[in-house]
Amino acid sequence: MARSETAHTGADDVGGDGEEFDPIGTLTLIGIYFAILVLAWVYIYFVEFLGRDLVIVG
Amino acid sequence: MHIHAYEKLWLALSIVLILALIGTVTYGAVGPGVAMVADSQSTIDPAGLDEDERFSEPRVEQVGENEYEAYVVAYQFGFEPTPIVVPANSTVTLHVTSRDVIHGFQVVGTSANTMVVPGEVSEITVETDEPTEYGLLCNEYCGAGHHVMEGKLHVVSRSEFENRGGDSA
Repeated sequence: MARSETAHTGADDVGGDGEEFDPIGTLTLIGIYFAILVLAWVYIYFVEFLGRDLVIVG
Repeated sequence: MHIHAYEKLWLALSIVLILALIGTVTYGAVGPGVAMVADSQSTIDPAGLDEDERFSEPRVEQVGENEYEAYVVAYQFGFEPTPIVVPANSTVTLHVTSRDVIHGFQVVGTSANTMVVPGEVSEITVETDEPTEYGLLCNEYCGAGHHVMEGKLHVVSRSEFENRGGDSA
């Protein structure tokens, strides 16, 4: 499968931090998804669940 | 093995998210004291509720300084007593059982919600705040009249509760 990446892969990759493949768009999208997940969880648990009356305590 | 910097970031955030989920649920159990509906109660004969001292006369009774016990029977298609009248700013333990089929017991718009299984007693403890009126409904399909099966839970002031004789009228 790596073959399909053609000549640039392989030896070039040892560089470490100097990433050649830099999918900033994907990172941004995943960051947005992550923020939605965190906000949704905070809302569901702390506002909708704990914030309601008559929480079962026993 | 080379792992892309973004992927490392994503893995780290995933672990943070998992820890945060576990952490918030732990906080809920330790802080506000959220509990599950336990199966600690002994079983009961659903056909013999009339002879059971708790359920022969469904009611609310005071058992401590600020503690009340409510005995509720769910049936096709309603709840007894209705309304269930409990005092404000108190701790109320609801014991709910069914005399026929499986029902649900949900105080609408709140977190108080349990299944009601014939032969079992569901026990949930809640803390009431200000006087208000809640609807009560069955959320387990229980027969042709399921959609009309409802009740009421009235939280009334302490003085009003005592004026009623401490029982549900």
